[in-house]
Amino acid sequence: METYPITIGKITRHVPVVETLPGVHIPLVEIMGDVELVQAAAEGLVKHLPPETDALLTLETSPIVLAHTMSALCGKPYVVVRRKRRPYMQDPIIQEVESLTLGVTETLWLDSRMAEKLMGQNVALVFDVVSSGGTMNALEKVAKKAGATVVARLAAFHQGNSKLPITFLSEIPILQTA
Amino acid sequence: MTVKTYAVEVAGVRRELPVVQVGPDVAVALFNMLGDTEVVEEAAAALAKRMPAEIETLVTPEVKAVPLAHALSRLTGKPYVVARKTEKPYMINPVSRTVISITTGKPQLLVLDGTDVPLIKGKKVAIVDDVVSTGSTLKGLSDLITDVGGQVAAVLAVFTEGSPREDVIALGHLPLFKPD
Repeated sequence: METYPITIGKITRHVPVVETLPGVHIPLVEIMGDVELVQAAAEGLVKHLPPETDALLTLETSPIVLAHTMSALCGKPYVVVRRKRRPYMQDPIIQEVESLTLGVTETLWLDSRMAEKLMGQNVALVFDVVSSGGTMNALEKVAKKAGATVVARLAAFHQGNSKLPITFLSEIPILQTA
Repeated sequence: MTVKTYAVEVAGVRRELPVVQVGPDVAVALFNMLGDTEVVEEAAAALAKRMPAEIETLVTPEVKAVPLAHALSRLTGKPYVVARKTEKPYMINPVSRTVISITTGKPQLLVLDGTDVPLIKGKKVAIVDDVVSTGSTLKGLSDLITDVGGQVAAVLAVFTEGSPREDVIALGHLPLFKPD
């Protein structure tokens, strides 16, 4: 299996390269299950948290472990936006994600009980990988609907060529075959 | 409006859980650890002490128990595997099982990525979950672990719910409620 080395801090992983579209190969990063990599990413990203940050905002599933570890390090709480409506949700914030990759839309959900915690807060968005930025834009809209101000956009990895206003620790290439 | 709540203590940390109706005749105390770093870390520390020494791998179902499994893995040094609720396009030789979710009444898929199977096959596994209620997820996950050659040697949870269970190492118990 073809692999590609990715590094954060002192941790290097040789991750599998997968073909997502014909001729387009990407190194596949999965931080969930990798305690050392998550720890290194969390330690790297908390240094970039603006001092005025009140809370972290992330979404399911993989970035949850990163947000949790950052929260444990910096003492600030985190809120998780869901990708499915849960039965207990009351009056949730609903936000469509426009995905550039496949044109498939998905929806983000945030229970009003969680949204109330964000009202008037300065939040930092936390991601494992940001590529097109579509999900990031949707999460930013959720934050604004909840009455929060986005003060930082943090990602462990940035993938691709898009110029996005994010702070990231490591670049992942998109590999093209001729 | 008053919101009914239920007071719990998790490894020394007190929380008031909202009591929410989830069916025509049943309400539950809603325990959501996502975003509650203190509860997750304290629960992980308490469960780490009670985890049998023979455990080699932790397996957890997506989503709410993932930070707990992550913290428990960090504390015990044992690897953890997340059983996903959907098959991902990048998975290699995925193995899956369908369980009927009591909460939603809908079939729920549990999927292991084939690349994680070596962590489970021939190993003594602990299932890690936030709340074990009817046990339908637990049964499905146990079957899935057995299917790939693992041995479920312990079940670790923050709470059992409904009927008390002897087969789960838990830090507390949640009753079921009648809606108002």
